[in-house]
Amino acid sequence: MPFFASELFVSEVYRKPVLDQTGEVIGRLRDITVSMGEPYPAISGLVIASGRNIYTIPWESVNLFNRRVISINALRHNLVPSSPSASYIMIFRDMLDKQIVDIDGAKLVRVNDLRLADVKGSLCLVAADIGLRGILRRLGLEAQGERLFSLFRMKLPHKLIGWHYLQAVEPKVARLTLTVSRQKVSQMHPADLAEIISEVSSKERAALFGSLDVETAAEALHELEPSVQADIIDDMTRERASDILEQMPPDEAADVLGDLPKEKADELIKLMEKEEAEDVQELLEHEEDTAGGLMTTEYLAFPPDITVEDAIKELRLEAPDVETIYYLYVVDDNERPVGVLSLKNLILARPPDMLKDIMKTPVKTIPLDADKDDVAEFISKYNLLAAPVVDENNVLRGIVTVDDVVDFLMPPASRKKRRRL
Amino acid sequence: MAVLERIRSFIERRRFLTFLAVMGPGLIAGNAGNDAGGIATYSIVGAREGYGLLWALILNTVALAVVQEMSARMGVVTGKGFGDLVRERFGVRVTLLVMSLFIFANLTVTIAEFAGIAAALELFGVHRYISMPVVAIIVWFVVVKGNFKQVERFLIAISMVYLTYVVSGFLANPPWLEVARQIVMPRIRMDGGYILLFITMVGTTITPYMQFYLQSAIVDKGVRVEEYKYTRMDVYAGSFMTGFIAFFIILATGTTLHPAGIEVHTAEEAAQALRPLAGEFASQLFAIGLLNASFLAALVLPLATAYGLAEAFGWESGINRTFREAPQFLGIYTLFIVIGAGVITIPGAPLIKIMFLSQTVNGVLLPAVLVIMLRLVNDKELMGEYVNSRRMNIITWITVVVIILLAVAMLATSFLDG
Repeated sequence: MPFFASELFVSEVYRKPVLDQTGEVIGRLRDITVSMGEPYPAISGLVIASGRNIYTIPWESVNLFNRRVISINALRHNLVPSSPSASYIMIFRDMLDKQIVDIDGAKLVRVNDLRLADVKGSLCLVAADIGLRGILRRLGLEAQGERLFSLFRMKLPHKLIGWHYLQAVEPKVARLTLTVSRQKVSQMHPADLAEIISEVSSKERAALFGSLDVETAAEALHELEPSVQADIIDDMTRERASDILEQMPPDEAADVLGDLPKEKADELIKLMEKEEAEDVQELLEHEEDTAGGLMTTEYLAFPPDITVEDAIKELRLEAPDVETIYYLYVVDDNERPVGVLSLKNLILARPPDMLKDIMKTPVKTIPLDADKDDVAEFISKYNLLAAPVVDENNVLRGIVTVDDVVDFLMPPASRKKRRRL
Repeated sequence: MAVLERIRSFIERRRFLTFLAVMGPGLIAGNAGNDAGGIATYSIVGAREGYGLLWALILNTVALAVVQEMSARMGVVTGKGFGDLVRERFGVRVTLLVMSLFIFANLTVTIAEFAGIAAALELFGVHRYISMPVVAIIVWFVVVKGNFKQVERFLIAISMVYLTYVVSGFLANPPWLEVARQIVMPRIRMDGGYILLFITMVGTTITPYMQFYLQSAIVDKGVRVEEYKYTRMDVYAGSFMTGFIAFFIILATGTTLHPAGIEVHTAEEAAQALRPLAGEFASQLFAIGLLNASFLAALVLPLATAYGLAEAFGWESGINRTFREAPQFLGIYTLFIVIGAGVITIPGAPLIKIMFLSQTVNGVLLPAVLVIMLRLVNDKELMGEYVNSRRMNIITWITVVVIILLAVAMLATSFLDG
């Protein structure tokens, strides 16, 4: 077993001479290979360069590994040159100087240095240095930098991101961070995630997107610009794409599908669950900038002659699948709206009351083909969180929620929320 | 048939729309190369040599197109700026070295652009104590408050003002046959002055900030690989326009100043010298052109620097960002404008020395950038199927070696002069 420093930065050992059993110099440390591990990736070997020869030494053969000495349990003349296999993940080649996602700060940063530490007897990769200190250390100027800072009575800050709070974006390294940080990535706000996705290159984007669970992927996708959404969906396998589309609210899914070529969109709809597919199909038939194109088909509707108590029970069952629960529409047998209740009305009513006795009438509705500006005006005029949309027979078809129209109401300059690539 | 015809025209229209959507970075980067220094150089070339160096413009334009195309290709394929790629492939030391030179070169050129703005506005009677703060605020405001689309459109609009030089050229009423004859059958001389002018011309047309800006702008814009052919058109159009404008500047001074034997040393001198020979209007157009060119470059240079540094050191970047989101990016941009405009308002600032220094640093930086660029663009892992083809490599290596030789020659001569 190697004896190693309990903690060090990789920049401190880069290009250090590596000795054999007898103390003879074999070559210089070129790289360090890592393998997947829980909770941290562990060092699996060293790559040593001597002139044109490259030696790959497994970690078990390493004797000493610290800032001053690196030595291995072998004799120089017994070593056979061997290049590391292409699939190895190497610290200097694949990780240093590359971009990573700082999950805590929700932004892309560059790796200036990497910290290794003893974790339960193995030397593991525990953190990335993303600060000025890391750059200075690489240049061999850390001490000088500290002195310079102290002249101004300041401290050179340590900026380290723990392994659990970073997500690699390089496709190769992303695999390494997948298992451990998956949950953490999912905890980022979808808008932050979308911003990062829009900043990385297309190869990295695929890797990053691939690391998300279907639900998070759907939420992040929703935050991106339609043309970018279509691009991303286009790059995925059909199965995964249809899974993600199912997770999205039908109106969002329809927006994404609307930007894809017709054949591709049809293909994806076929792969979706029947119910979701029908909703999306229906929405796709409406013009994009009309009430029909903006609306979602998921809303709460109840018959007039049930009690408040039953309605609340029903609400609990349906709420998880519905975007907005602040309005409950009361509809007749033909799905025509006859009244509306706010969530507040419902909660404040006495449990045995019938809905038809406490509902507000008449219901203000807008037609399917209403222009988006009319929808916005309608919502603003009546101070609504959602507007019910009806067809020519006055049958309730969906609702347009305020977040779907708020974009149109913003002045153009502040509308850059949806990230372009 | 009529139906087929209509479908075809529709498809073509769609293509044209895609081109319009992708267009921008190449056009802007190219035109930004015709900055205050560029216009001065072309004015001097025309005044001293008449049409004698027009032929070189063609080579110049081809070289520019070759280099810019590689930058654009890297931007589109990797989705990363030049600063990103240098850092990721060459590590901290090389990055720091390249970036130090880059900052220094760009800062001095930025000062030169503000000097150009001040000089041009002084021709219209605006004192620099008024023009500098006003222009600095405008330049700052455009990028900090605008979003990418608005800034790009603004820059494209400015690029179109360059066409005033075409009018200037026509107003000079050049003998077109003689112009054509000298392009086809140039009388190349081997004396020092002629060669030096030739070298300066190439040095002023191809500058590192153009490549940095082009690649970063393409990334910020988010051009996709499928749209690359349109980007290439944009780059070629931009390079062509750069040469085209230079052609008319040389024509304007070559037709009027050269026969009269008037020597000029700066662009504003050229504008003044044009007045008695080509009329008030031609002179004013020339001055407007200088103002516009300096203004465009005064915006692009700080932007290119901010992009490059933010990429290299992993800071958030992009025109769409606010100060809170990207403090370093917009901070660098602001600092450059403040210094650029500030230095001009210092009485007795050694502007000539600054220009000389900027030429020297750019001369060192350009070969480094080109060699790094060739290594990156031939990196299979990075570029995949978009690496240079063999033929492309032969063309680019010849171009790059020639540019490097000229840059070194320019360095040597500027030291001999100094």
